[in-house]
Amino acid sequence: MISDLLDRFLLPLRRGPLGRPYPDAPATLPPNVRGLPELDTSRCDASADCVSACPTQAITVGGGVWTLDAGRCVFCGDCVRACPRDALKLGDRVELAARARADLLIVIPIQVPR
Amino acid sequence: MADPTVGGRSVTGQAGAWEPIADGAVERVAPEALDGRVGAAMAAGARYVMLVGLDERSVGGRGLAVEVALAAPSGYIRLRVDLPLDRPVYPSLARSVPAAHWDEREIRGLLGVTPQGHPDSRRLVLHEHWPGSYHPLRKDVPADERPPITTREFVPFEVHGDGVYQLPVGPIHAGVIEPGHFRFSAVGERIPHLAAYLFFTHRGLEKLVEGRTFDAALPVIERACGVCTVTHAMAFAQATEALTRTTIPERAAWARVVLAELERLYNHVGDLGNICAGIGFHSAVARFGALREQLLRLNEELTGHRYLMATVGIGGLRADLNPRGLALVRDTLPLVERELAAAVRAVIRSAGVRLRTHGTGVVSRETADSLGATGIAGKASGLDFDLRRDEPYARYSELAIQPISVQAGDVAARFDVRAREAHDAIRMVLEALQALEMLPAGPIRSEPSEAPEAGMSTIAGVEGPRGASRLWLRAGPAGTVDRVHLRSASFANWPVVAAAVPGDLVPDFPLINKSFELCYACTDR
Repeated sequence: MISDLLDRFLLPLRRGPLGRPYPDAPATLPPNVRGLPELDTSRCDASADCVSACPTQAITVGGGVWTLDAGRCVFCGDCVRACPRDALKLGDRVELAARARADLLIVIPIQVPR
Repeated sequence: MADPTVGGRSVTGQAGAWEPIADGAVERVAPEALDGRVGAAMAAGARYVMLVGLDERSVGGRGLAVEVALAAPSGYIRLRVDLPLDRPVYPSLARSVPAAHWDEREIRGLLGVTPQGHPDSRRLVLHEHWPGSYHPLRKDVPADERPPITTREFVPFEVHGDGVYQLPVGPIHAGVIEPGHFRFSAVGERIPHLAAYLFFTHRGLEKLVEGRTFDAALPVIERACGVCTVTHAMAFAQATEALTRTTIPERAAWARVVLAELERLYNHVGDLGNICAGIGFHSAVARFGALREQLLRLNEELTGHRYLMATVGIGGLRADLNPRGLALVRDTLPLVERELAAAVRAVIRSAGVRLRTHGTGVVSRETADSLGATGIAGKASGLDFDLRRDEPYARYSELAIQPISVQAGDVAARFDVRAREAHDAIRMVLEALQALEMLPAGPIRSEPSEAPEAGMSTIAGVEGPRGASRLWLRAGPAGTVDRVHLRSASFANWPVVAAAVPGDLVPDFPLINKSFELCYACTDR
């Protein structure tokens, strides 16, 4: 009984509070969190390996732009692993709410080699 | 080919029976012989697994079919009944196999197959506003078609009589929970009958993935439900690996054990708290809630995702477990274990909890057995079945699964079994981590050794947090899915919830419901 009461107070004390100040302060996320895919345009050679690797057809390449549909992306990272030039990574952007469907399209101009 | 990592085949010592099988090799049964054949197999010790409805026209057939799968100690027994398109009728199994009751109602709507003599003519998956002649799982129905909405009236099943009143609850509830309509027929506070109407979140996932590649189908199946993602992804991956005869790397097999047990653990810890919420024991709810949050953060450190999504891949893993996360899990779980034990002790010693949970929501062993209760729902009523031991997959053959089976069948028993399974999950995660540490660095994913042959089908099973989840999978041409059927543990257990309630009080329902804590989305698909 006594040990139960001690456990009840001491274990949480040792663990510390689990609450976090988000959204008043920026979210603290682990380094490997899977946020929105980010493209390094200086490395991208428009090979479109990411397009065929994506299981949800969220990525398109064409017309001088790389387009990610954040409404289709499931943040699996298959595109990152498929890129032969390490141009992609899963970033830490996780606040992705948009007011219109079209706002979920992320369009990035890329240099298409000729 | 001996292969302990896929589908639990070699472990049984009778490899053939668990192997994928060509359509032509499935045992054919005449419609009128099905009931007798199933009865004989079950009398000899086989357990009912599922009943799946098929449209054979995509694989060279001319009509529809029904397949009944049973699990015998030597492997699956699969019985196929071919049905002509113009008269797809067979004698219903539900009277002799009550566990098949919902499966038969499901295919009546989704596929337009009539189980003649079925005791319940109500709709199940497709509600009253669907046109009666519309059967979306038929191959000639396009997946993106929107059928017209009809306005047939919903007539709930009610018990009437002197002093009996009806209490409709849902499908929209006050809390942030999934939709289901519960129709209580009550006398005072006592409930003589409960009718549960689900499938409000039927999204047609099985239809959606037909024709997709296996890789493109996986994210959909994985998301059948938000808290059983590892279970469903593993079942689909195992089935695909069996069809392509792929052996997954040892590293991936052990990692799958870690992921599956972490999924069980956070579910069980949260659900222990949910049972306390059903009693109004709020300090315990907070305590289990804090523990669950700690576990979700460990998941995130380990995989980058709080609910472990997109970590299991076909052929192994999509991405390796994070080394920092592995160390955190190893160091944190012993503390979680201690706090969990203390929290569980505090609950079961409370007199108030005892009064509410003992003798409440009792499911007898006979009821559990005939309805095919699985996981905690079965173990709390004395049924000792666990796929991790009975049909081992991943690396469970190298782990001792503690047999947990109690007899009382009430809310207290389900709390007890859940707590013990949670502790057992912690032990297994730690053992699997140790095994992972001993392994040399190596690949985490194997390439499929052969393309899946069109018309080959298989069944995979994973013991998820809610019990045995089964997946039936048939390959179509060029590495695509022809048909997938997901029979989750929640689907199996919902009829058991409805059977647990009669005789108890209206305010006991939330408590009884939470002692099962089934998913709606897994059931509805």
